[in-house]
Amino acid sequence: MKKFKALMQRDTWVKPYLRRYRSLLFFSLFFGVLTAICAAALMFTSGYVIDKSATHPYNILLIYAAVVLTRAFGIGRPVFKYLERLRSHNWVLRVTSDLRRRLYHVLEKDAAFFEEHHRTGDILGILADDLGHLQNLYLRTIFPTIVGYILAFIIIVIMGILNWFYGLILLLLFAIEIILVPLISVNIEGARRYRQKSINNQLYVDLTDNILGAADWVISGRHQDFINRPKPALEKLRASQLKSKHFGWSRDFGLQVVFLIIAIVLIIFTNLHLTANQAQANFVSAFVLAIFPLSDAFIPISAGFDELPIYSDSVARLNDLKVPTRPLPEQVASQPEKFQQLTLKDLTFEYDADSPLLINHFNQTLKKGEKMAVLGPSGTGKTTLLQLILGDLTPQHGNVLVDNIDISALQNDRSKLFSVLNQKPFLFDTTIMNNVRMGNEQASDDAVKAVLDKVNLKDKIEALPDQYNTIVQEAGNRFSGGERQRIALARILLQDTPIVLLDEPTVGLDPITEQELLETFFTLLNDKTIIWITHHLQGVELVDQLVFLSEGQIEMQGNPHKLYEENEHFKQLYEMDRGY
Amino acid sequence: MIDKRLFKLPGVTPVLIVAALLTLLQGGAIIMQAHYLTSVLVLSWRQQPLNTLTTGTILFAIAFLCRQLFIWIKNIILDRYADKASNDMRQQLLDKVYVAGSNDVAQSGTGKLVTVALDGINNVYNYFNLIFAKVMDMFIIPWMILIYIYFHSVRSGLILTLVFPVVILFMILLGFAAQDKADQQYAGFLKLSNHFVNALRGLSTLKFLGLSERYESNVYSVSEDYRRSTMDTLKIAILSTFALDWFTTLSIALLALFLGLGLIGGSIPLFPALVALILAPEFFLPIRDFGNDYHATLNGKNAMTDILDIIDRPTVAQSDTVAPDFQWDENSTLTANHFDLQYAPDPKQPTDLTDIQFTLKGYQKVGIIGMSGSGKSTLLDTIGGFLSPLTADDTATNNFTLNGENLPNMSQKNWQTQFSFIPQFPYLFADTIANNIRFYLPEASDEAVVQAAEKAGLTDFIHSLKDGFETKVGEGGRGISGGQAQRIALARAFLDQNRHILMFDEPTAHLDIETEYALKATMKPLFEQHLVLFATHRLHWLKEMDYILVMKDGRLVQQGTPTELADIAGEYQELTQHMQRRVTI
Repeated sequence: MKKFKALMQRDTWVKPYLRRYRSLLFFSLFFGVLTAICAAALMFTSGYVIDKSATHPYNILLIYAAVVLTRAFGIGRPVFKYLERLRSHNWVLRVTSDLRRRLYHVLEKDAAFFEEHHRTGDILGILADDLGHLQNLYLRTIFPTIVGYILAFIIIVIMGILNWFYGLILLLLFAIEIILVPLISVNIEGARRYRQKSINNQLYVDLTDNILGAADWVISGRHQDFINRPKPALEKLRASQLKSKHFGWSRDFGLQVVFLIIAIVLIIFTNLHLTANQAQANFVSAFVLAIFPLSDAFIPISAGFDELPIYSDSVARLNDLKVPTRPLPEQVASQPEKFQQLTLKDLTFEYDADSPLLINHFNQTLKKGEKMAVLGPSGTGKTTLLQLILGDLTPQHGNVLVDNIDISALQNDRSKLFSVLNQKPFLFDTTIMNNVRMGNEQASDDAVKAVLDKVNLKDKIEALPDQYNTIVQEAGNRFSGGERQRIALARILLQDTPIVLLDEPTVGLDPITEQELLETFFTLLNDKTIIWITHHLQGVELVDQLVFLSEGQIEMQGNPHKLYEENEHFKQLYEMDRGY
Repeated sequence: MIDKRLFKLPGVTPVLIVAALLTLLQGGAIIMQAHYLTSVLVLSWRQQPLNTLTTGTILFAIAFLCRQLFIWIKNIILDRYADKASNDMRQQLLDKVYVAGSNDVAQSGTGKLVTVALDGINNVYNYFNLIFAKVMDMFIIPWMILIYIYFHSVRSGLILTLVFPVVILFMILLGFAAQDKADQQYAGFLKLSNHFVNALRGLSTLKFLGLSERYESNVYSVSEDYRRSTMDTLKIAILSTFALDWFTTLSIALLALFLGLGLIGGSIPLFPALVALILAPEFFLPIRDFGNDYHATLNGKNAMTDILDIIDRPTVAQSDTVAPDFQWDENSTLTANHFDLQYAPDPKQPTDLTDIQFTLKGYQKVGIIGMSGSGKSTLLDTIGGFLSPLTADDTATNNFTLNGENLPNMSQKNWQTQFSFIPQFPYLFADTIANNIRFYLPEASDEAVVQAAEKAGLTDFIHSLKDGFETKVGEGGRGISGGQAQRIALARAFLDQNRHILMFDEPTAHLDIETEYALKATMKPLFEQHLVLFATHRLHWLKEMDYILVMKDGRLVQQGTPTELADIAGEYQELTQHMQRRVTI
């Protein structure tokens, strides 16, 4: 709870938004309060109608006003509840749009973040889920609590006006019901819920081991171990959850007891203070019955508090995101059509002092139209090299020059100079036409069709029912790996930059598909400067320079044909690859 | 809403009987609570002194507490059952995974399966809890209340009796209409959140294309579009709750009016009128509760259907036909006798493997080649016993012959513990490197593990790690390169000397050439004294093989020694020539 308080003090992702769209928020809370008031008033007026009628008034008109009111409140309750739900959802969705834009903005500015996310798994999905958790925080904890507090306030004030002593008693009882118990509850349950979350993560790991490693379990013959694997975490989780449930049930019972006392206080109050005459006594049922529908507004507050620690991770994660400030020099306009050479001068890079040197005094010059392939085991800094070239990372030493201008001064124009094709090209969940046109938004339909024809997809696409307007499905079932690469290549052809970076674009494809794809790449990008990261030797005859990276160092380097003649190790590798 | 399989769950009947009894008690307590509250209120109305209220108030309090107590006990009992039943279901699911090995069940997507085993089971648990508690309340409590009210006031009883079917009818009518909308809304919500995750994932691509800054406004406007359409659907989707509330509150207002009129006319006394009014909300409460949790029950029901479908899927259980002392040696033979195989048990679908026939002998080195999708992996999985052949008469017991013994499939415990399987991406368990190496032989000594690691060429790598052999890898542990993961899998094979069969499925396809080159040197000594089955499309491995199976479209189109096959025009020649072709432009 303390942690949560501290978190809330520095928070910029939850609190500020409570000030946004104030009228919407106001009405959503207002309707929430009205819903409860109507529910109470319905029982109040109904109780009055019956008590009053029991005095056999000579004229029905005497209860007419109360009858009309019962109907009004009877209609009011569902209507206000309906409006409240619409308003609160509308508000939350509005805020969600803002939060999404903000999260996108932060991530967009943080290029280095993407290197991070390669290491920590699916952080993007987690962050997107965090926004969903914030929605629940508003709808399930914050709103009901505010509404409950307002209602309690109203009840205590009314009671206080009628009789200050009973007002004080109710104040005390409500303080227990909606302040004390929720705080105790979150203090006891909070830590437990937090622990359950970590046990649940362990369980996730165990189940993943069981399910993804199933074949190995079968082969090992360790059936019993397989069964026992998730048991410790599972038992711990169930035991802890059972404690939570027992706590929840007994707490709710306690809350009901407090509520019962409130009801009895009202019974006593009405008996002692509303029985001076029959006209007053007609309000007895009204007062007592009105309190019962309100239990719905008070009892769930504690359960809402229990959930706070679950949200706190999400809130903390979002608050820890920072827009990085990377000082860039004054930006210069590029002249892509006049591009002559790309120079990597004495590049040295490490992530931090503790991690190994990824790139160590790397030098290379590529003239317009020259092609370089970079090989090496994973983790040797191949992708880092690309990030340095693009200027996403800043080298500790040396620089990347495009026609003698440092890449850091060309960030605004980067997409005119470089295009990138990576392992799994990202295709957006829109039509093929739109996906390709992203390369150049000014391109006409015919231009898009022309590049799709160049990458040999024309026939395949025109055979589809929606042709160029076919939606590229997210999972990519519709297109194979090779075809997705071709769509991405079409996009790059439209982008038409002088330098193309290829980051293992054929990994995971079978050799025949790979071969066809490489032929397409190098034919269509013949006039471009290419830096191509690859992991084996298929197609390396096509480049001018071959660089083998190993632990930050250049292991071998040269023209592939010359290397074959002069370098024994390369010859061996090459021959193995060819199958000699 | 209610899956019939629910009532076939083991041990469900006694639990339901006890819960029903508790619900009856709970209903009784609700009636008593209203009864004594009314008696107290009537006394106050008659302006009686406080001490006359004492008995009534105490009895009211007792009834109130009893009601909460019964709910508490019912929660405990139903929770215990729901917890046990959902956990049993998880256990069954895992058993299924074990029996089916990596494949059949994995068809439903392994990532999804982990989620099903966790979140899906939680949904099922909630479903059990809700469905038993809420449905029970709905079927018992309103009728008890109604009978009590009839007993006191026929007119009130009639009003509630007339309103109830109207509520139900409208709930159904609107519920269906709203349900469609709600489902749409949910789909829309998913699409929205997918769009956002998509935008985040595509951020680097957008940056490369120079669109990322402008896309920010797109993120916002798409989110706003979805908000508007979500609000449109929500307006209708929450109508069902609205209708339920509407009828409930209006019928209370109506009841108050009729009771008032009755009281004025003198046809009923105060007590029955007031008790009917107090009980009216309780009469509708169970059905409103049920309506509120409708969505949760729907999720739970879908989760349960998913899980039961997986559990009910036919799989072949591991059998013990092969004797425990079975050992593959240089004289052993395995023959496949013209079997077919099909993933989906649907006779209309084409078979995935057709008429497979071969004989493997002793310590042969067998290469399996073919284009992507030609059935190489399927064949390996069948030999490994993860898939079971299907034959025309479906009862064939001789799809395989192992050392003269006929077998319907290779899902044989004592066969499966005879081989090591090394796929393209070996799975590393969330454990130490040492325990990953001794996975097949958990009782192997530390020295043996060190030796196996040495043979697999892991020593330098492991020494470079701070925690050495005790380094945690796998989910949540240290990330490890593909090449090192392969070496750990090889170390497993080196460690267990009693496994004389090695199966490889494209083990080096994704590795860089130097790693592959180094790994090949490690693997060659392992091949000795082993039957090797090696699926690959890397040509150079074929030189290490002395027998080749050539797959095409699920058929074994050619088999023989590499030299034999090289001389015959056919798929082998085509494939090798294609692979050998240089990339030219």
